[in-house]
Amino acid sequence: MNTYTICIFTENTIGLLNRITIIFTRRRINIESLTVSETERMGVSRFTIVIKHDSREAVEKLVRQIRKIIEVMAVFGYLNDEIVSNEIALFKIATPLGSKPLDIEYINKNFNAWVVYWQLDYVVIEKTGSEKQIFEFFSYIKPHGILEFVRSGRVAVGKTEKGLVEYLPEYEWEYYL
Amino acid sequence: MNTTVIELTAEKPQPAVPSAKLLKPLTGAEALMQALVEEGVETIFGYPGGAIMPVYDALYDYQDRLNHILVRHEQGAAHAAEGYARVTGRAGVCLVTSGPGATNLVTGIADALIDSTPMVCLVGQVAMKLLGTDAFQETDVIGVTMPITKWNYQITSADEIPEIIAKAFYLAQSGRPGPVVIDITKNAQVELMTKSFHYKKCERVSTYRPRLIPKQDQVEKAAELINKAKKPYMLVGHGVLISKAEKELLAFVEKTGIPVATTLLGQSALSDDHPLYTGWLGMHGNYGSNVMTNQCDLLIGIGMRFDDRVTGNAELFARQAKVVHIEIDPAEIDKVIKADAPVIGDVKEVLNRLMPLVNENDHTAWRNEFRKYDDIEEEKVTQPALAPTTEKIKMAEAINLLSKKTNGEAVMVADVGQHQMMTSAYYEFKKPHSLVTSGGLGTMGFALPAAFGAKVGDPSREVIAIIGDGCFQMTLQELGTIAQNKLPVKIIILNNNYLGMVRQWQQLFFERRYSFVELQNPDFITIAKGFGIVGHTCAKREDLSASLDTLLASETPYLLEIIVEQEENVFPMVPAGTSVADIRLE
Repeated sequence: MNTYTICIFTENTIGLLNRITIIFTRRRINIESLTVSETERMGVSRFTIVIKHDSREAVEKLVRQIRKIIEVMAVFGYLNDEIVSNEIALFKIATPLGSKPLDIEYINKNFNAWVVYWQLDYVVIEKTGSEKQIFEFFSYIKPHGILEFVRSGRVAVGKTEKGLVEYLPEYEWEYYL
Repeated sequence: MNTTVIELTAEKPQPAVPSAKLLKPLTGAEALMQALVEEGVETIFGYPGGAIMPVYDALYDYQDRLNHILVRHEQGAAHAAEGYARVTGRAGVCLVTSGPGATNLVTGIADALIDSTPMVCLVGQVAMKLLGTDAFQETDVIGVTMPITKWNYQITSADEIPEIIAKAFYLAQSGRPGPVVIDITKNAQVELMTKSFHYKKCERVSTYRPRLIPKQDQVEKAAELINKAKKPYMLVGHGVLISKAEKELLAFVEKTGIPVATTLLGQSALSDDHPLYTGWLGMHGNYGSNVMTNQCDLLIGIGMRFDDRVTGNAELFARQAKVVHIEIDPAEIDKVIKADAPVIGDVKEVLNRLMPLVNENDHTAWRNEFRKYDDIEEEKVTQPALAPTTEKIKMAEAINLLSKKTNGEAVMVADVGQHQMMTSAYYEFKKPHSLVTSGGLGTMGFALPAAFGAKVGDPSREVIAIIGDGCFQMTLQELGTIAQNKLPVKIIILNNNYLGMVRQWQQLFFERRYSFVELQNPDFITIAKGFGIVGHTCAKREDLSASLDTLLASETPYLLEIIVEQEENVFPMVPAGTSVADIRLE
């Protein structure tokens, strides 16, 4: 099984997520993670979808089917070594009176994680990194008692010099910046 | 958040109603009618209901410009629109209400998608403020039709109508055609537009760029393989007809001397009597046509998608051959069969560019290699089918006689099953766009509505529906539509009192365990009479010729029921999942 990251540029319209995911469903391909947000171009969304598959050919066919969606501008599929990727995770850690103290400095230095919010009974720690790094931190922090844990799913950029938006069809783009 | 994606042209709209009237704000419903007129729509197949009533009210004033045909069930509207589209090449239009009106279209929409048929379905929807409240006749039509449309969109304000309708027709008809569903909320139908009506045909959608003109290097590589091949073989599909490239195909075939087979939907792209035409392909296609796919050294798939009914077991299909695949949809390349030289583009454009690059050639010796299979098929299948000794009429002889009597020039609308395969096998098509049938989806009940849709689309041609007794009972209510609109469609029911194709499979692969395939049929002639359609039954071979003459001479719709051999089987046959080399003749 290889992990593939599929980047999809689309118009930002209602229902498009559904139109994209049914293409996976129909081929019985599970989505491991999915993030969507608007790009630097107004009205253009970028999907990052992570799947596992043992056939590169099947993934290529999947990509071609996604390209057929009218509102889709471009689709790119990558193996892990072709991208720089990251996730963000939030950990809500219990800190009741008398509990084992959290070594914030150690966490900062060794895990590159930060306390982003605190209350009397708990703190929220933000950790960015690969899935592997996040789970390493998870193992470290687990004894403290994790009240809540969430991962964002992968965001990724390709290692090619050109930005992916450069490949989009010409259009009178409006930029946010 | 929607972005405008339509590039409008500067062309002046030509209003069909006096422009003074258009200066007054139109309601959404009026705008829809006006948009259809400007788009050049002539016929709508529809059925009214609650959520589409404002549109029907506007239609009342447009009856002189838009021919509305009231069907008896929305599925009939969908198949009629398909039939219309298949003979005209223009999008068929359906107009139905929300909820059940829309869901009844679903089978037809799925059928149109898989057979690349342009269709625009205009569907009523509950008012915007009622969306998501389980209002009366509310169904999530966008959600339901998402996997079976090329594009769908929900209009929630009158102002959107001209632009979205233009986009709908453009998307349905361009590139690889397909069905588009436009869901229109009731408030959008009744409210006034806030701007003056302005219609411009859509010619471009920025996120959608079908490649019509092929890349030159792809064309050159294909030409090189074609010129080098000793045993080239061309498989012609529906794309040739969609692209209206019959003339280009003929010129190409005659220059290169390459033998040609067609898929089921590619039938009639090349006249059946052309010396290079080897027959049709697929599960029940011709013996030689199928077997030779595994003996050629170059396979040229053109406007076709290597359906499993064509390839049999794809892993055993044409392993020895290089493959040139000419196709407008890039997703079809390598989907089933790997292409050595894919050429992405519109078939007509590709053929025009290939023509000067391919050598004149004569593959007579190779073409003659097909003959031995033709002879075997003639002896084992065709002759016994056409000169039967059975008491009852055989389907093959009825179709063959019909073919002779119509000189192979009728539009044949075949339903799904044995009679469909027999129509494809025994009707000798002489004119293009002459076989209308449900190929990819295999929708029983397709033929009766598709036949009157085809007749409306091209009244100058004789349209003959070939329907099984099982299929007929799926959409027979459309006899009412045919009668009311006086559409002179000729209907032939080949009645064997069985769901014949299923029975054939049960006989061959399930040890004759005939599980629920026998039908107790109604008296079809009495039913037709009830609808005001004349007809008669032919049960004897000696009456067949005269019966067909009566049918063909009729100036009104006519139903001919032919009682055929009960347990006739369709051969040749490539059993599902096997290689085309394992084709059976008996």
